[in-house]
Amino acid sequence: MFDSSILLSLIGLPLFGMIVLFFIPDNNPDLQKNVGLSTSLLTFLLSILLWLKFDMSTPKYQFVEKFFSVPYSNMHVYLGVDGISLFFILLTTFLIPVCLLASWDAIKIYIREYSIAFLFLEAVLICVFTCLDVLFFYIFFEAVLIPMFLIIGIWGSRERKIRAAYQFFVYTLVGSVLMLLAIMYIYYTTGTTDILVLQTVSFDYNTQLILWLAFFASLAVKVPMVPAHIWLPEAHSEAPTAGSVILAGVLLKMGGYGFLRFSIPMFPDASIYFTPLVYTLSVIAVIYTSLTTLRQVDMKRIIAYSSVAHMGFVTIGMFTLNIQGIEGSMLLMLSHGVVSSALFLCIGVIYDRHKTRIIKYYSGLTVKMPLFSIVFLFFILANMGFPGTSSFVSEFLVLVGAFKSNVFVTTLITTGVIWGAGYSIWLYNRVAFGNIRTSHISEFRDLDRREAMVFLPCIILVLLMGVYPEIFLNAMHVSITHLIEQVQ
Amino acid sequence: MPELYLFFATLILLSYGVLYSTSKILNYPIIQLNMGWLSIFSLTITLFLYLGNPITTMSAFNDLLIFDSFTSLMKVLIVISSIICCLMSLTYLENKKINSFEYFILILLATIGMLCLVSTNDLLALYMSIELMSLSFYILASYKRNSEFSGEAGLKYFILGAFSSGLLLFGISLIYGFTGLTNFEELAKVLTGINSMTNTVSYSGILAGLLFLSISLLFKLAAAPFHMWSPDVYEGAPTPVTAFFSIVPKMAIFALLLRMFYSTFYDFLGFWQPIFLYTGVLSMIVGSLGALYQKKIKRLMAYSGIANVGYMLIGFSAGTVESMSGLILYLLIYVVMTIAFFSFILGTQTEKDSKLNTYISDLENLGKVNPALGFAVTFVIFSMVGLPPFAGFFGKFYLFLSAIQSELYTAAIIGVLSSVVAAFYYIRIIKLMFFGTSSVYTTYKSMDKANALVLSGSLFFLIFFFAYPHPFLMCIHKASLGLLL
Repeated sequence: MFDSSILLSLIGLPLFGMIVLFFIPDNNPDLQKNVGLSTSLLTFLLSILLWLKFDMSTPKYQFVEKFFSVPYSNMHVYLGVDGISLFFILLTTFLIPVCLLASWDAIKIYIREYSIAFLFLEAVLICVFTCLDVLFFYIFFEAVLIPMFLIIGIWGSRERKIRAAYQFFVYTLVGSVLMLLAIMYIYYTTGTTDILVLQTVSFDYNTQLILWLAFFASLAVKVPMVPAHIWLPEAHSEAPTAGSVILAGVLLKMGGYGFLRFSIPMFPDASIYFTPLVYTLSVIAVIYTSLTTLRQVDMKRIIAYSSVAHMGFVTIGMFTLNIQGIEGSMLLMLSHGVVSSALFLCIGVIYDRHKTRIIKYYSGLTVKMPLFSIVFLFFILANMGFPGTSSFVSEFLVLVGAFKSNVFVTTLITTGVIWGAGYSIWLYNRVAFGNIRTSHISEFRDLDRREAMVFLPCIILVLLMGVYPEIFLNAMHVSITHLIEQVQ
Repeated sequence: MPELYLFFATLILLSYGVLYSTSKILNYPIIQLNMGWLSIFSLTITLFLYLGNPITTMSAFNDLLIFDSFTSLMKVLIVISSIICCLMSLTYLENKKINSFEYFILILLATIGMLCLVSTNDLLALYMSIELMSLSFYILASYKRNSEFSGEAGLKYFILGAFSSGLLLFGISLIYGFTGLTNFEELAKVLTGINSMTNTVSYSGILAGLLFLSISLLFKLAAAPFHMWSPDVYEGAPTPVTAFFSIVPKMAIFALLLRMFYSTFYDFLGFWQPIFLYTGVLSMIVGSLGALYQKKIKRLMAYSGIANVGYMLIGFSAGTVESMSGLILYLLIYVVMTIAFFSFILGTQTEKDSKLNTYISDLENLGKVNPALGFAVTFVIFSMVGLPPFAGFFGKFYLFLSAIQSELYTAAIIGVLSSVVAAFYYIRIIKLMFFGTSSVYTTYKSMDKANALVLSGSLFFLIFFFAYPHPFLMCIHKASLGLLL
């Protein structure tokens, strides 16, 4: 009884918070912020409960709920969690309170609507990661666009934000309507959209290839893979800090999750057939975007491009189709979700103070902001995969997995680690060391208590994943083994 | 027969208006509002007559008209949307000082025409009712007598509409000439036996007649390439009339198309399917590309109407029971979205000179001045784009699903891609409302009650359709079975 209602309350709690927020008067912004934050913290605690009650010994879907059906059809809202989706839910519920806390003072207009947008986003994202019905997955996948479009457009920082919001919207929509057609075709031929059933259906070879491509069009835009990655730096650099955090932290992972949940188990032959395509695009992503970062002047764009490079590692790891590769890419998604979010938060901290993200105005921050410099250094090291941090473990696993399947590709992406070290250290070098430039920037304040509280959980999580990744890997192990069995 | 009631009510209202408004003793009173509420009242009674109608299937006037569950659903929808159109126009007429009471009489007459059109069972009845509808429309389009645009719109509409009526009549006479029949049911019986090998002459004659019929009906729907009149007419006509044009007639004409082509001429599927498929694809492309560079709201709505007719035609040409239900559902949702949008346009008047917004750029910063209204319109527009979980998504979903079931893959792909293009211009409105950069902040009068009620009601439908679509789907399913069985 209690088990089954966890998922529903996990989705219902943010929605309840939204309703409460509607009734708080305009002249009380503090209360609005507090309600938003406490709702999301409660949701986080509830999701920890989900983790504790999760049974690691079975690949079956747990906490299953099936409660709503479309008449005259075979479609249901069908929710459930397995080892693959569990951590995406945790990542979502972890990052939403971080986002709300990080933008505590930075958001000055439409404070209530801001909290509502984030809580709505949280509810929809949990639905995306728990939904076991392809059609409803699509519905929630698209519904994410609405709050994110508004977040970029309304609370973004500069004039260019309009262009960014447009690009974000249109890129995603173009990809996903093709996925919608594929879903309709699947429903028409098999008569169901339930993925438990669909994983037992085997489509013939040519159909698989076309359907895989249609899904790929949508998921590759979300990941993003190289030719479709243009929207990401734009969206990141124009979104408010919290928007970038949620975008890098969770929204990009929807693509990776989609590959693991739909493309690979439903179209195994096509996945093997298209592996070279994915490898090529990912290798280009790793090398090309790493080099692109060297030419950027905006700090957020550097992190955005580095996200594309890391997601390149993720897609390679997934399509190695062996246990190390897939577990590595899962762990890398989690680790990247925390590390790149924290880096965006770091940039947000100095942006809040000085209202610019252009590197050339900054120099020598170590002198006046020692605490900040330490935190920034920690996450820069984590970003380049320093041993002891989460990225090291996950990138190592991905490389081991890739080595099993293709030595040449592994050699190429190993250089990506070096590029990563290059641009990360160089970024840190320019911002933190050197002479202090009082001509541009006169006021310096180090991290205050709120900002420190934002970074602390991120640091703990990164170290935990780096030193003792077992607790994460154990929970996903059985599900991923099951996934690989399905493919073979 | 509720139509009869509505017809006599209209006549009584007309004579009441003529006698009362010309009375010298009462100093020529302005009875516009009075007349508006009286027409809403009589439409409401008609609605109740339909809802409480005990007879499910019958035919009347020597088989000229037919009544079944399909017609009753469509008629209920038409009457409800006419009521809403009357409600939306009250404030506009009052503010613009359009004081002649005939406005509502014309709307009632057009509604009667459409109600008869839905239950047409004969080519002659078809022509009569479509003319009753169109003639009222021509006058309505040019109703704002002191505006050049309005006169132009009326004239254009009249000339082109008369031309298409000529085509319709020609098609009817061809079919009558080659079969000697005008009744749909009798035609259906005769046409099943006919084939191209044995009756070459009459076969090709019927095909020619069918071609003319479908062209003229596509003309009334403003499907590309017969769409040229619609942006001009929509722009020129007074705004509540534009709302009426874009909301109600589509339902009536699609109901007619469904009855004609899904039952009577179903054996000619191979002939009419490509006609509607190609016009559908063309309308989607023309509508969504044409809307990209429009500056005026009403022209934008005209083009978006063309694109929407395109989606509906794709579903229509699929020719299955599912496509029929999908089409009716899409019509319902499209009508609600259009109602929501027009109630917003008609309800926002500038505080300074109580004008409506004409240009899209007039909407700039509206979201900042009126956040609640801004967010409401944002949701309506997201629904028009077809984003889940709003109702617009489900409409498109069922339509394209039926297209895929009939293996019209190319049309479905073009359809979803053109809906992405459409997203572009819809989103521009949201962009202007919330992310606008100009420092012009126009303040608006608070919305009048009728429009606010209509907007909030339709918004409620669009958002929560997702949660409980069952009653609508059941009704629609029953109605489509009613037509086909």
